[in-house]
Amino acid sequence: GKWATSRPKYPPTTLALQHFDVTYSSQLGHLWPSVRVALLSERKYGALLNNFSLNDVEEDLASQGCRDFVTDTDRKEHVSMEQDPEVEFSETSDSTSVEQRDTFGQHQLSQPHLSPTIKCFVFPRGDITRFKPARPDSSGLLGYYLMDAASVLPCLALDVHAGHNLLDLCAAPGGKTLALLQTQAIRFLCLNDSSISRTSRLKKVLQSYLPKELLTREKLRITSFDGTKWGEIEQNTFDRVLVDVPCTTDRHSLMEDDNNIFSKSRTGERRGLPQLQLQLLLAGVVAACPGGEIVYSTCTLSHIQNVGVVEQAIHLARENHGIHLKVVDLRPLAHMFRNTFHFASDVQLGELVIPHLAANFGPIYLCKLKRLS
Amino acid sequence: NLLPNVANNDPASLQRHTGPELSLPCLLDMGFTQTQAEQIFEFACKTSGGSATKHCLSTLTVLFMLGLNPSSVMKVLTKCPILYTIKESLLQERISNLRKLGLVEGSLQRVVVHYPAILTLPVKKIKHVTLFLREKCLFTVQQVTQILRDSPAIMHEDLAQLEYKFQYVYFRMGIKQAEMVKHRLFRSTLEELRTRHTFLERRGLYQTPDKKGQTVIANPKLDSVLNVDLDTFLLAHAANASAEEYDVFRRLVAREWKQEERHHGDCQAE
Ligand SMILES: C[S@@+](CC[C@H](N)C(=O)[O-])C[C@H]1O[C@@H](n2cnc3c(N)ncnc32)[C@H](O)[C@@H]1O
Repeated sequence: GKWATSRPKYPPTTLALQHFDVTYSSQLGHLWPSVRVALLSERKYGALLNNFSLNDVEEDLASQGCRDFVTDTDRKEHVSMEQDPEVEFSETSDSTSVEQRDTFGQHQLSQPHLSPTIKCFVFPRGDITRFKPARPDSSGLLGYYLMDAASVLPCLALDVHAGHNLLDLCAAPGGKTLALLQTQAIRFLCLNDSSISRTSRLKKVLQSYLPKELLTREKLRITSFDGTKWGEIEQNTFDRVLVDVPCTTDRHSLMEDDNNIFSKSRTGERRGLPQLQLQLLLAGVVAACPGGEIVYSTCTLSHIQNVGVVEQAIHLARENHGIHLKVVDLRPLAHMFRNTFHFASDVQLGELVIPHLAANFGPIYLCKLKRLS
Repeated sequence: NLLPNVANNDPASLQRHTGPELSLPCLLDMGFTQTQAEQIFEFACKTSGGSATKHCLSTLTVLFMLGLNPSSVMKVLTKCPILYTIKESLLQERISNLRKLGLVEGSLQRVVVHYPAILTLPVKKIKHVTLFLREKCLFTVQQVTQILRDSPAIMHEDLAQLEYKFQYVYFRMGIKQAEMVKHRLFRSTLEELRTRHTFLERRGLYQTPDKKGQTVIANPKLDSVLNVDLDTFLLAHAANASAEEYDVFRRLVAREWKQEERHHGDCQAE
């Protein structure tokens, strides 16, 4: 009957929840219940617009009541916030962060430079309407790609300029790759993912969204290497590197028992994640050219996998490779999109989008580093 | 002074009105106001010609015999006009069945005035529901009486739904029968209860007890989840939750559950 269960006593989703209850309640404090209920409820998507499709999806999406969050930022409010740099969401405020925000005050809050060709449509705050599946145009290309809208932020933060060489170190299944390609500014793009099955998924995604002319050897290379070894292959090469690492994928771990990183059999792998993430980030740093920029991103709230990894990477890059890194301030970016996403207010390095029922995106962590030497 | 003023507490004088004649003067005689009397008269004439006037009079008599005053009788008939057309013997039988189920004087009258539809149900149906409450949900005889007194509308509910509600509260929320009765569980809709409980559960503030009935955290009392308005509920249990969050949540889970039901239906159809 309804009440009989044949499931194991502690399925991986339950183990994940127990783990998060311990770590995140101490990390997020009184915010945790609100983040918890959001994580356990249906997430929101964004529709990344495919500029290569001939369909006029933009108008169609707008008529359904969504808007492109990248261009639809309230600039007037932006100005008033400069004078009053208190934290964006009063509920997330705490004394240390207010102090931190105060110091960056008026002068530093310049508009971040963003590629205007990346567009991502979302339904307004509190609206739970779902997107319909995208339809192919006359040449078979789909009009949009559904993904967590906050996943677009690392791509925006990467700030691709015309003529750039790019490395996407953990690229599959390719949502962020697609966002980066929308800039139409990339000279050469290296896509890598160690998983062969996921790399083939990536290829299928690219074929459904990009015209054949763009999928040539002159513009694109797709590999299935272990990203931690990248430095042995190619160093000091890329203008921009995206390191979107495997992590505890908090949402997935709470909702799906299949392929769950919290299953007993994967304990070792889970414990090894921060080490793997560190090595991937270091490989990305080494692959970037001097002056190049690296964005590290995850979809977990875990402090150890986010700030912890970045701190160590900065340290080890200097110690082991003599590479000096500067953390690029992403607060202007976060500030700009504060009407769409809830950002945590007390992250020492980088920005963290935290889930909230009314804006149920994330978690997405991003941190941008610039190679100085 | 519950009886109509002109009736002088004399059953014989009431008996006089049970004759086939229903007239305005006789209604006025019973203590109805002019408007009330006209309303009743008009209704009785409209409905199935002459036969309704006969039942109408007997219905009025039964209600007066129960001890209701004219304004209560009027309330009952306005809420539930179908009572005009029910045979006297059936009404008597239904009332005495309610007495047998333990509704004492006072309670019986209150139930009839608040929920007159109880008198539209055949004795068999009521027996069926009370038996269900005792055998499927293991309520005691006294508890069933109390449920009947506090939540008579339960008699009209779909038994499958009722069983689901009971099991939900018993197993998922870990609440025993005595508490369900005390806090008048059956007055709330399953949807509101489930939404509030799930909201608390997903926020980490409610746990299903294990086999020994134990939880790591102390669950809030049923009363404070069920019998308070939304603001009080949010304030008491989820100090940082906004009405906005709860509103989005309510819509989200409603869709979730509808989909689950549909999925469940699909599986059974296969
Ligand atoms: C968070 S996912 C990337 C999602 C992708 N960037 C997107 O936006 O669609 C992390 C990916 O890292 C890959 N991965 C895991 N270990 C790796 C390694 N050592 N080297 C390269 N990729 C790895 C996984 O196969 C997985 O596809």
